[in-house]
Amino acid sequence: MRQKRVQPRRGASENVILFTVGGFRFAIAAGAVSEIRSMEGLQRFFGGTRHKAMAKVLYTLDRNGATHFVVSAAQHFRLPPSRPTRVLILRHAAAALLVDSTDRMTEISVLHALPLAFNREERDWYRGLAILNAEAVPVVNPSAFLSRGEVAVLRAITEQMQGVAVG
Amino acid sequence: MMLDDQKSFVLFPLGRKRFALPAEKVTELAKPDRLQTFPHRTPLLAGVLVRRGRIVPVCDVAHALVGPDAPPRKFYLIANRQFESRNEWTAIPVTGECELTSIQPQRPAGKLPAYVTGVLSLDNEIVEILALEELIATEVAI
Repeated sequence: MRQKRVQPRRGASENVILFTVGGFRFAIAAGAVSEIRSMEGLQRFFGGTRHKAMAKVLYTLDRNGATHFVVSAAQHFRLPPSRPTRVLILRHAAAALLVDSTDRMTEISVLHALPLAFNREERDWYRGLAILNAEAVPVVNPSAFLSRGEVAVLRAITEQMQGVAVG
Repeated sequence: MMLDDQKSFVLFPLGRKRFALPAEKVTELAKPDRLQTFPHRTPLLAGVLVRRGRIVPVCDVAHALVGPDAPPRKFYLIANRQFESRNEWTAIPVTGECELTSIQPQRPAGKLPAYVTGVLSLDNEIVEILALEELIATEVAI
């Protein structure tokens, strides 16, 4: 039987930023990132120690009057602890992403669907796969780092902690 | 007891044992290729191959079939997996050359896992015929 091949999504090319975590290379849409910065100015977030599901949020970052919750990409992808050095602040999102390093910006013209054989959390983690120099690079889904529910819980924890600090 | 008429099967080795897949399920035998990995949570999946611009997931069933002492896998047998109405290539790492044979399958004697749909009686060898979907589903459920 001939295989009904799932055609990769072709369309306008897309700029992506390549970054590494735990020795793995990932890509994120450049349009989803508002800033790449060092770890300077991050404040340790202790709410994650009380709420296990939030353990991946290691820091907060106050910027332009908004609080960003800095998610460890290594913990998000269930990788061993790594050595982060850079923070990707996500555009129009409460999340920022702690990564080991950023590489470069490049252009992709085809986004391959994640094969159906992958059927767990990774279907939410990735928008698909890009092929860069014969290497399959997962293109991350920026909205998967923190759900709306998680952001609501994090904000509540933050307010509670600030209340305790003031009281 | 015989099952059907003579059919074609691809026999593939995993260590000392050989297993069979219906030939119509098999697309090709691929030479060693660079296994590429990225974080995921799906059991049995070892990563992906990039073949002629196509991304092929690699499903390593050796541990499930012959245990942890399976020797290094040298080649990839590329088979079709059915996902509802869609088919998708899956690369199965195997330890040596494969063989195509036409033979009448037999009903398995005794109790065998549900993913064994029949057996092939060769000269000095009984080869189990695998249902790939059931094998993967069984292992994922464990």
